[in-house]
Amino acid sequence: MRINLSAAALITFLSAPLGAQWFDQPTKGIPRLPDGKPNLTAPTPKTADGKPDLSGIWLGDQWAPAGRRPNPPGGGRGGGGRGGGAPEMLPWAQKVFNERRDTSLRDDPEARCMPQGVPKASTLPYPFEIVNANGKTLILFEMYSLRRQIFTDGRELPKEYAQPSWMGYSVGKWEGDEFVVHTAGVNDQVWNIDLAGHPHSDALHITERYKRVDFGHMDVQVTIDDSKTYTSQWNMPVMRYTLLPDTDLFEFVCEKNVDPQHMVGK
Amino acid sequence: MKYVLLLVVAAAPLLAHHSFAAEFDSKKPVELKGKLIELEWVNPHAWIHMEVTDASGKVTKWECELGSPNLLMRNGWRRDTLKKGDMIVVSGSQAKDGSNMANARSVTSVDGKRVFNAGSSGDPGTPGALTQ
Repeated sequence: MRINLSAAALITFLSAPLGAQWFDQPTKGIPRLPDGKPNLTAPTPKTADGKPDLSGIWLGDQWAPAGRRPNPPGGGRGGGGRGGGAPEMLPWAQKVFNERRDTSLRDDPEARCMPQGVPKASTLPYPFEIVNANGKTLILFEMYSLRRQIFTDGRELPKEYAQPSWMGYSVGKWEGDEFVVHTAGVNDQVWNIDLAGHPHSDALHITERYKRVDFGHMDVQVTIDDSKTYTSQWNMPVMRYTLLPDTDLFEFVCEKNVDPQHMVGK
Repeated sequence: MKYVLLLVVAAAPLLAHHSFAAEFDSKKPVELKGKLIELEWVNPHAWIHMEVTDASGKVTKWECELGSPNLLMRNGWRRDTLKKGDMIVVSGSQAKDGSNMANARSVTSVDGKRVFNAGSSGDPGTPGALTQ
């Protein structure tokens, strides 16, 4: 049982430049090469307070059409963008996971236009935008128009959650050049925390470490801590992202879905 | 009839919002040649509705799933890229439930238009493929 990350069969017969296919909205103020293309390997930008600036529109490397970094040694494109890792599960979780894999994730509510949770929403083939706001960092997801708010005003995670939610409750702070986000309060309607189909409980605590390694690339290390589901804390493979310059997020309302009636699984 | 192959296996792979393997069978490839009835431009998937005429003249209706409009646009499609009556060839995988429904991997038009990869998911070997 494995996730196929191979891209060997992907052959481009015609590859028109992505920017030219969008609606001619060049991103202002970004470093560019002499030919006008965005310089994705320029230095990491900073905010006014000297911290790395994470803002921008990002897409997982496994989906990014251009500009992504070479594959990591021994890994496929994007590594953990597909979720996964090989955590040791408690018996109930292993049973659930096996059932999901045996039915090709047929029952994933995403197929019925329901929201995804953290970090799965960041692993999909749609971009998201990170926005620096006053006292919070926002992540706007194109798919299903979801959003996360990560409080950066110094508050701690609540002890209890009166209203568990799909995206949970998130607080963030800087540790060196990494933006560290802690998330809890995820509801039980989040079916899988990654594309591999891993389950969770109300004990789920997610730690994300965002690092913008240069202008056009960002790494996110995700650690899963859920003692009711897994025997120990585990790391997903590092998720790698590439900046999508000269584009905008678009509305995405899941308005007409006919797939579930045809999803037979195996 | 001469079909001009301009088609693209896109640089940006398109994936469904759902499991490909639960719905479509990569071992049941189809190549559908026929007339476009409608390009339905809706989320989470755009759809090609087409009529396929076999050698005996029998007409069969097919529905072919594409990526979302946003992904299609980022790959060069527009909502009017295909028009009613256009003759097209759709390559893809048939639904596991045996209905006249397919996940389109590519679309070829006969009139020289650029038509891009349509697939809302991948066969094994392409990004987006979830295999076990």
